[in-house]
Amino acid sequence: MSLTSTEHVDTGPADGPDAGTTPPGTAASPSSRLKGLAERNALLALLLAVIAFFAIYPESSDTFFTSSNASVLLGNQSVVALLALAVILPLVTGYFDFSLGAIAATSSVLTAGLMSFSDLSLGLAIAVGIGVGAGIGAINGVLVTRFGLNSFVTTLGMATLLGGLIQWYTGGQTILAGIDPALPRFGSATWLGLPRVVFVVLLATVALWYLLSQTPFGRSLYAIGSNPRSARLVGVRVDRSVWTTFVLAGALAGVTGVLQLARAGSATADNGTSLLFPALAAAFLGATAVVPGFFNAVGTIIGVLFVSVAVSGLTLSGASAWASPVFNGAALLVAVGLSHYLGRHRGVGTG
Amino acid sequence: MSTTARPPTTDVVLRITGMTKRFGATLALDGADLALRHGTVHALIGGNGCGKSTTIKVLAGVHRADAGRIEMAGSAWSAAEYDARAGRAAGLRFVHQDLGLFPELSIAENFALDAGYPRGLAGRVSWTALHRRVAGLLDNYEIGASPATPVAALRPAQRTLVAIARALQDQESDRHLVLVLDEPTATLPQHESRLLLDAVRRRADAGQTVLMVSHRMPEVLSVSDDFTVFRDGRTVASLVAARPTEAELVAHMTGSADAARAVVRPQPASGPAADAGRGDVVLDVAGLAGGPLRGVDLQVRRGEIVGLTGLVGSGRTSLLKTVFGEHAPAGGNVRIASDRPAGDAAASVPARIAGGVAYVPEDRGGEAAFADLTVRDNLSATVVGRYWRPWGMAVRRERADAGALIRSHAIKASSTEVPFAALSGGNQQKAVLARWLRREPALLLLDEPTQGVDVMSRADIYRIVRETAERGCAVLVASSDQLELCGLCDRVLVLRDGRVAAELSGAALTADRLTALTQSTETTAGPVPAPGDR
Repeated sequence: MSLTSTEHVDTGPADGPDAGTTPPGTAASPSSRLKGLAERNALLALLLAVIAFFAIYPESSDTFFTSSNASVLLGNQSVVALLALAVILPLVTGYFDFSLGAIAATSSVLTAGLMSFSDLSLGLAIAVGIGVGAGIGAINGVLVTRFGLNSFVTTLGMATLLGGLIQWYTGGQTILAGIDPALPRFGSATWLGLPRVVFVVLLATVALWYLLSQTPFGRSLYAIGSNPRSARLVGVRVDRSVWTTFVLAGALAGVTGVLQLARAGSATADNGTSLLFPALAAAFLGATAVVPGFFNAVGTIIGVLFVSVAVSGLTLSGASAWASPVFNGAALLVAVGLSHYLGRHRGVGTG
Repeated sequence: MSTTARPPTTDVVLRITGMTKRFGATLALDGADLALRHGTVHALIGGNGCGKSTTIKVLAGVHRADAGRIEMAGSAWSAAEYDARAGRAAGLRFVHQDLGLFPELSIAENFALDAGYPRGLAGRVSWTALHRRVAGLLDNYEIGASPATPVAALRPAQRTLVAIARALQDQESDRHLVLVLDEPTATLPQHESRLLLDAVRRRADAGQTVLMVSHRMPEVLSVSDDFTVFRDGRTVASLVAARPTEAELVAHMTGSADAARAVVRPQPASGPAADAGRGDVVLDVAGLAGGPLRGVDLQVRRGEIVGLTGLVGSGRTSLLKTVFGEHAPAGGNVRIASDRPAGDAAASVPARIAGGVAYVPEDRGGEAAFADLTVRDNLSATVVGRYWRPWGMAVRRERADAGALIRSHAIKASSTEVPFAALSGGNQQKAVLARWLRREPALLLLDEPTQGVDVMSRADIYRIVRETAERGCAVLVASSDQLELCGLCDRVLVLRDGRVAAELSGAALTADRLTALTQSTETTAGPVPAPGDR
């Protein structure tokens, strides 16, 4: 095996004085270490190459590498990025959640509607939006763990159901009036030259990175993803842990919905699929980077940036509207193919 | 070596010469030779990593050798020319450890999926023709079942025989096939192995040529005519029509006669470990019922190694899983006395673990391994909480501890960061054992601890289990290997009809008596219900 330097947690802080020295024989050989380093950072290198290309390419060079484009790009992608972070939570344990896009849309419409139709305060409306997201996640989790239903089909059904409820709640209309102006103001404000929403994503990324790679709970999630029966027999409460990932993912999708409302200033009667698929693509792309073969928070963000930077560059160079989905799809296929070729992909179970 | 390579010259149906195969930096085969005589059972043996699996994979066309020559059925290939199709055309047929049967389908359908369905009018499947042909084959192979029986309803030995009959189904009088059996008995209990090997022996006496790879020395010795021993990718011994002893074979495998004596079988415990009734009772099971269990009573004391045996379905695995909290008992009591308080709490797996119980399951791949995670992750799976501090996981300390465990348990791994799947079976088992022993359990439950483990790793495992017991751990070992139980245990309990039917210890504890007690109500004919559990 040449792929010997998978470092499950490589970015952890240095140990204190209690740290032992690495014993001889536990270190990988220099060549395989170099290979691992290249593998972990391939997507990041590709991202930088794409940025460099569009900064030099004459068709896009005057607009692409400007702070205003960077600001627009990051602001617009923060919603997808947040949803992508939500998506990897169940994926780590081997379960799909296709309803997260619809949960985000539900939260967005509900937060707007509660302010617009029911005159609720901003804080309360946001709390309900996020709370409903967590609640739907809890229902998904119970269906998948307690009743052992297939996560693929269950969450697809939930997504369809929520899409219908959104149509019923909004009457198919966009909710424009009655939204507390503080929310859109937050959505368009900047801090240190970057949109504020970017800092929300940053916070969520750090939190998720910590949870997945720096806590025993995160470790047990990867163990479940590897082999749920083995995990059970080393004392992991498998059902409870999987359920928790669905709840956390639902809550994070709820936050995504609120953030989307803040960015757009209005809530459309949309079922959220347009958000979900780029998020899934980013999650799978992210599983080829940083910790190759495993879904991880930092890799996911690199995946989001890679796709969005490439699409932005293409758009600025004059490519048509179809370029974006074509690129998204192609990137996803290449990502899945690559991780399969690396022989490390575990084939996410369908629960 | 007293025996020099003495390749047979007459009647050779398959001859491999100078086979070499390199994987990266590892030389898996280094000029290995092998010659198979017509109508014999030929055992290919050696420790883990000796190259025997690679040889089988080269013959099956999975790998292409770098150099060497293969001669079969009057044709000869260089390593570069040989592929799966050539092997099949020349008459090689394989039955792997995973039999590749479809358990839900009938025996007849399993045959037809391999060879095609006989067709009748308008392309319709001719079931009568199929069943007639398969019935003939079943008769020929002495498998007492009808073609319509689902494979899942057969007993384990019969399933392997069905796979053999299926592999050889296109054998005709003018065409001789060579059967390659890869670890045929690895997952079979002893009496099933016996049935299977007797059947194989009868086929060989009728002229079938068989090449067999196995880790179980007594079985290999009982059935084989010729032996080829590999070590480090080379043929170190080739014994024709010989009757070697187990110690001789192991001496060839290890290259040292001294090591062989210690390795072959565990020596019965002696000294302070031998006096019974020392130490306090750690595990007290009373009237335990549930699944196949109908009122099991047993006690295990501190520092004691207690064996558990019985037929398939006697409830060995059920008993261990119930004690571990994985199965809820339908009745009775399990009491675990340890210095850790959670032992008597509600019987869930986490509570049992907290109470000082450890369980090494029988199905390593399915219930113990995290194949794609690193060796370090696998070793710390039982103690992850220890490495957590508010500012993150102490990965460096975890890695150092994993390295120390790898050395103290003699696990062969190039680094703590390689995937678990990269380890050989024996080393995986040692790693699973190490994962639990680092918790210093009060009670260690082992289910078939040396299944699919090579002789050398087996010796390591026996040593580790002994040392653990000497430190005061109570050990309960379920096994179908009677010799293993006799050598390792202070006393052995025989499970029958869901109860402890007999107990042997001291001089009365012999493999023959154990076999007799296990088999005493055994019915030898007919299919039994699919064993979901043991």
